[in-house]
Amino acid sequence: MATTETATLQSDSSESAAEVHPLDGVFSPKSVAVIGVTPTPNTVPFDIFQNILTSGYRGTVYPVAPGKRSIGAVRAYRYVIDIDDDVDQAVIVFPANVVDRALEQCGKKGIKSVIVISAGFREVGPKGIKREQRLKDICKEYGIAMIGPNCLGVINTDPAVSLNASFARKMPKVGRIAFLSQSGALCTAVLDFARARGIGFSKFVSFGNKAGVTEIELFDYLHHDDQTDVILLYLEELRNGRGLIEAARRITRGENAKPILAIKSGRTPQGADAAASHTGSLSGEDAICGAVFEEAGVIRVGSMEEMFNAAIMYTYQPMPKGDRIAIVTNAGGPGVMATDAAVRMGLSIPRFDQSTTDILQDSLPDTANLKNPVDVIGDARADRYTAALKAVLDDPNVDQALVILTPQSMTDIDSIARGICQIHEKAGKPIACSFMGATDVHSGVELLQEARIPHYVLPEWACEAMAKVQAVRQWRGQPIEQVQPLPVARDAARAVSAAAEPGYLSEDEALRVMGAYGLPVPRHKLCFTVEEAVEFAGEIGYPVVLRIVSPLIVHKSEVKGVALNLSNAATVRSAYDQMLRHISSVFPDTEIRGVLVRGMIPAGHELIIGAKCDPVFGPTLMFGLGGIYVELFKDVTFALAPIDRATAARMARRVKAYRLLEGMRGGARADIEGIQESLIRVGQHVSDFDRIAELDVNPLIVGPAETGNAVADVRIRLSE
Amino acid sequence: MDKDEVRQRVVKVVCHVLNVDENMVELESHFVFDLGAESTQSVELVAAFEGEFDIEMDDEAALEVQTVGNAVDFIAKYV
Repeated sequence: MATTETATLQSDSSESAAEVHPLDGVFSPKSVAVIGVTPTPNTVPFDIFQNILTSGYRGTVYPVAPGKRSIGAVRAYRYVIDIDDDVDQAVIVFPANVVDRALEQCGKKGIKSVIVISAGFREVGPKGIKREQRLKDICKEYGIAMIGPNCLGVINTDPAVSLNASFARKMPKVGRIAFLSQSGALCTAVLDFARARGIGFSKFVSFGNKAGVTEIELFDYLHHDDQTDVILLYLEELRNGRGLIEAARRITRGENAKPILAIKSGRTPQGADAAASHTGSLSGEDAICGAVFEEAGVIRVGSMEEMFNAAIMYTYQPMPKGDRIAIVTNAGGPGVMATDAAVRMGLSIPRFDQSTTDILQDSLPDTANLKNPVDVIGDARADRYTAALKAVLDDPNVDQALVILTPQSMTDIDSIARGICQIHEKAGKPIACSFMGATDVHSGVELLQEARIPHYVLPEWACEAMAKVQAVRQWRGQPIEQVQPLPVARDAARAVSAAAEPGYLSEDEALRVMGAYGLPVPRHKLCFTVEEAVEFAGEIGYPVVLRIVSPLIVHKSEVKGVALNLSNAATVRSAYDQMLRHISSVFPDTEIRGVLVRGMIPAGHELIIGAKCDPVFGPTLMFGLGGIYVELFKDVTFALAPIDRATAARMARRVKAYRLLEGMRGGARADIEGIQESLIRVGQHVSDFDRIAELDVNPLIVGPAETGNAVADVRIRLSE
Repeated sequence: MDKDEVRQRVVKVVCHVLNVDENMVELESHFVFDLGAESTQSVELVAAFEGEFDIEMDDEAALEVQTVGNAVDFIAKYV
């Protein structure tokens, strides 16, 4: 074969008038140089070049292969700077130790988009970290958007581009799902999995070490990508959790909203292990992820199966108007199982209109179940299925339908599938199917897949997927509020922390800080003599509490540093003396700063409000069941601070203890609005002061609205 | 053996193993970046140098050598 000047395939001459995005060069380059290509088949450098050539790429590709005249009959260049034409994108496949040289040449050539496939960077240790930093420096110097290093590459199935700049075995089908993955190896498995299920992609990105372009910039690009309806993310390591969440919030609601489904693996418990406070020990990255993903409308899933199940439901079907599902089945057992699953996952099983029941009665045998789930009976053929499905979809009380089929000897599977396809064309409501089995139902399943009707091996999976779409709908219906700062005495709080050394504030200081931020702190005084304590107790009224204040005593009650319910001056004197004597004998060298005196707080629900400046998520807020049960039940949730009122309300509702607060079994309703107010105020505080390493308001004693809430104890640890 | 002879013989080996023209090979040339050596060819180069100069090199250290000039200096220590 003759060597061509370049591998110029069909070039699309129609210039897009659309706004240029910084990552357009990554996904839609008009020319690509593959740098470091070798002529050896079945190697990454060769296969990537070959994939670009054979994927139907509509631009121009240049192999850069020092010492080679050509690669695959395409003229090769020694260096990228030897290419006379402009180059939009470079894919670097050289070994790690020379990637920087190639990248620098890309910068000099004016190439603004580079994919570095090569491994051997931060994932291999200190030497690799240094190499990776060099790449970052070059990208910064030349303004290069870099994907990778250590990645599989990028695929854009858009027929106007058709670029497979990866070493995946095959180009996926065109679809409307974008998939982003930190793991390259997982990508190839996902592509194979998706191909088997007929699932296509709009964009497919393995972003590897994300030394340049991160998932956050990719989110932004995909938000504006008109080929993408849903974004899937596989993430192992979060470096800028706050940035990710803020980007997700912009994408999942409002104009041009798109759902994001994410798998976050790679739990890192070491941060939690080292923490001293409840907030610290409960707020590992994974625990925060679960809650803050939800707060950003990101649907967290546990497996690829779950992810794609929901993705195809969303992309193939219209958005349902509500959560009501009708089930049509030829098998009672699976129908009941599906009903259980639907209810468990938050869908509802509506009653049909009488007119629907009448139609079902006319169409089905006497033995059929005309109520939801509709059982068309085991010997049902296509006529019964189509009549039942059409009737339930026409019912005004039904928002979506699930069709279950088990293959019996008389079941005309393909005819039933075709009937469903015909109804689907005009239904206007979502339909999902579960043709249970494998071999017998295979051809019917293919017909459904061709018609883009989501099919699931198990009906429970269908319900799960429908419930996730429902979650997307509900999230979009949530009000979007702006955080409104509340009036607080910020300077007073600043004065306390400015004077404090790193470590725990004393209880007196911590209460002053919380008081400055408007939390319900009871009247208190740090007393230095017993007479002072008695005088203050008389001033605020009995009963009172004494609490030892010492920098080394964190868990006061364990060292008899707390005396409760003191009802007169004599008991205050006695408790004061005993407390000091005991602590001085047990901890002779401990500095005692005084004894804090405050009034007894009436009994109530014990809750915790925690906060910290998290290295990944920034200022983070925790709320849940407090007191001694905190770490036993771990009934806590998180949000990124500061928060608005809607978020505070959602945080309160997310914990199991919320039922207690609402007034379970005849109990009075707690001051929930007061809790929300305290959450907002603590959130504002941790956002204002980046030295808050850990903060526990525990317990916040919560009573009914007429008595309100009170901070019974608070610990604040400051960082450097 | 003087260093110039080492250089000439190194260049000859490099051209043979990597199948490149002599005019491409300079002392600063990087085996991978400038001359397109594949990973397996690095091992072939070490073996070819050992054969050419009838020496036995420390393999690990030899594979760290990245340019023609470095190879000349490295081999000169053995001959």
